[in-house]
Amino acid sequence: MKIIASCLIASLVFLGGCAATVTEAGYYWGDYSQTLYKYTKDPSETTLAEHVEELEDIIAKSEEKGLKVPPGIHAELGYIKARQGNDALAMGYYEKEMSLYPESRLFLERLTVETSKGSDQS
Amino acid sequence: MRNILLLIIAGIVMSGCVAVPVTDTKQSAFPAMYTDTKPVSMIIVPAINESTAADAGDLLNVTVTQPFANPGYYVMPVSIVSDIFKREGIVEGTQVKGLPASLFKKNFGADSVMFMTITQWDKNYAVIAGNVTVGIEYVLLSTETNEVLWSYTQHVVVDTSGGNSGGGLIGSIIATAITTATTDYVPIAFQVHQRASGALPYGKYHPKSGQDGADNVVNIAAKDAALSD
Repeated sequence: MKIIASCLIASLVFLGGCAATVTEAGYYWGDYSQTLYKYTKDPSETTLAEHVEELEDIIAKSEEKGLKVPPGIHAELGYIKARQGNDALAMGYYEKEMSLYPESRLFLERLTVETSKGSDQS
Repeated sequence: MRNILLLIIAGIVMSGCVAVPVTDTKQSAFPAMYTDTKPVSMIIVPAINESTAADAGDLLNVTVTQPFANPGYYVMPVSIVSDIFKREGIVEGTQVKGLPASLFKKNFGADSVMFMTITQWDKNYAVIAGNVTVGIEYVLLSTETNEVLWSYTQHVVVDTSGGNSGGGLIGSIIATAITTATTDYVPIAFQVHQRASGALPYGKYHPKSGQDGADNVVNIAAKDAALSD
């Protein structure tokens, strides 16, 4: 059943043509490692803003190129937004990650619980 | 580039301290990756840094997502995961190594967990060209069965000089001094992971998932592991 379903989905994706794909070479990642490294080594508003900008750019460029957005990009943006107190935006990004990658559901739902707990306290 | 690779290979073969790499197919090297135990998602715990370079852990942690997601796996967001670990007081893989792998299934929903041990990260400041010798071991465990799904050990020398500078010997010395001072090690860490993940069977999100069983892989893992004991 699962196999049939995934075949159907796969054929829909192929037939769709415009639907986001994953190429053999992988995804579009821009300068992801670089901005994450800078932020990890020197966590500041500037380095965080640069990393956020890179994450947003990866989403924009992937969509432009018709590629699937890489795993974790939406989740990471959501996590940053949640920490900045923007729960609504955070949820939106988590939802997007879960729809692209259903394997992320359990993890993100736990983060969501954490996020709403955080706003209860504030 | 090809020349450098050849030199490295020749160096390995001639030095005699490492056995000649054994070529195997992906399926016979990693049979568990071609059964129901093949994971869709993986959580990568912060690297265990046994090298003398304090920065090696961060470098290899921030660069690991891309090379391991590209072959088709859902890599749990490394930066979020490490943040959660940090809040629990975990900054290095050693602190979670003894825990049952099932914990990662229960808490993160991950099918597999990957441990990385950095055994060497030695910068070499030569006159003409700098390089880094990197030793790293990867072990991917199933969070359901606890078995080793995939492992890879590598020892590589990565050139950091970034092309020729021209300007004769003195020019080269200055250029090397400058590049070693400001060498960007992010792409180097990335290259190391990229080499390793090339030996990983393709995952669900890769167009060739399940079709690479007959692909060759240079399986140096077993040899190196045997030698390191």
